[in-house]
Amino acid sequence: MSDLPEGAAYLAFDGHELHAGDGPGRRFMIDARCLQGTPVHGAYAHVCALPDVAAVLEFDQPEVQQVRRDALGWWIGMLGDALICLTTLALDESRYGGAITVTREPVAWSEDPFARIFPGTIVQTDLFCDVAPPPGPVLERYAGVAWPGGHF
Amino acid sequence: MKLEPGQTFPDLDLPDHTGRERRLSEVAGGDPVTLLFSRGWWCPKEQRHLQEVTALQDEFEVAYARIVVVSVDAPEVQAAFRAGLGARFLFLSDGERRWLERLDLLEETDSVHRPYRPTAVTLHPDLTIHAAYDGYWYWGRPTAEDLRQDMRAISRAVRDDFRRV
Repeated sequence: MSDLPEGAAYLAFDGHELHAGDGPGRRFMIDARCLQGTPVHGAYAHVCALPDVAAVLEFDQPEVQQVRRDALGWWIGMLGDALICLTTLALDESRYGGAITVTREPVAWSEDPFARIFPGTIVQTDLFCDVAPPPGPVLERYAGVAWPGGHF
Repeated sequence: MKLEPGQTFPDLDLPDHTGRERRLSEVAGGDPVTLLFSRGWWCPKEQRHLQEVTALQDEFEVAYARIVVVSVDAPEVQAAFRAGLGARFLFLSDGERRWLERLDLLEETDSVHRPYRPTAVTLHPDLTIHAAYDGYWYWGRPTAEDLRQDMRAISRAVRDDFRRV
């Protein structure tokens, strides 16, 4: 794990369950703040990603920027207090594997902008902590840390 | 409080347009900030100016800079105004006028709404004031080009690798 950038954490997804660190399924990097703090029990994670390693896009592709604009524009606001945290799923510093939105209760998942790229799976989880939602930007900070994490 | 370049701006703590408590330093997140004190959704001048600011948001979002608007409107009113503008940046609500009084930004000629006097401040990531604009008269407000120039100057000052040639 020594190649893990500062501010990043590993998360595994097998299509049904999430595991912090290494676990069964495909391994992604997330914004580590989502796992630091007091976990919210009984949360709902909308995992817009696939276990298939072919499900990948460049972070710089317009659709990956646009879904983050949509998240800033209305998705985060629509979730209100239900939102616990959200993070993209990075494969490395340039490739996008999906995103997760974590909430305290079931919400209108069909509206999740990230599901327009990779379809969503709802997973009940006790892994995630409250993180203040991002006010921007819509792209990464060249740090290899999944949006909205990272810093200069 | 006099808003002078070089002074540190207070770390505002206010609810955002979703009602979530925020701090200005947390929202800045290490980036330059354009902070706009606005009368409110009902003012035609605010509507016009924020349309211009909204047109800038695509640039701010890829240039690692932030836009924040403060008004006395309630969060749900700000959320509706924000949606009407098509804005993706953050609104902070000072319905209790806690910071309005401390910042001495009450618009005294409007006794109906008791709003903020339109004021713009451009800030370094550590909330040091770069420039301040009194927008009581519309032409006192920063234009899009003023804001670009301020963000460029701040970025040049805080990004070690801003200019390599």
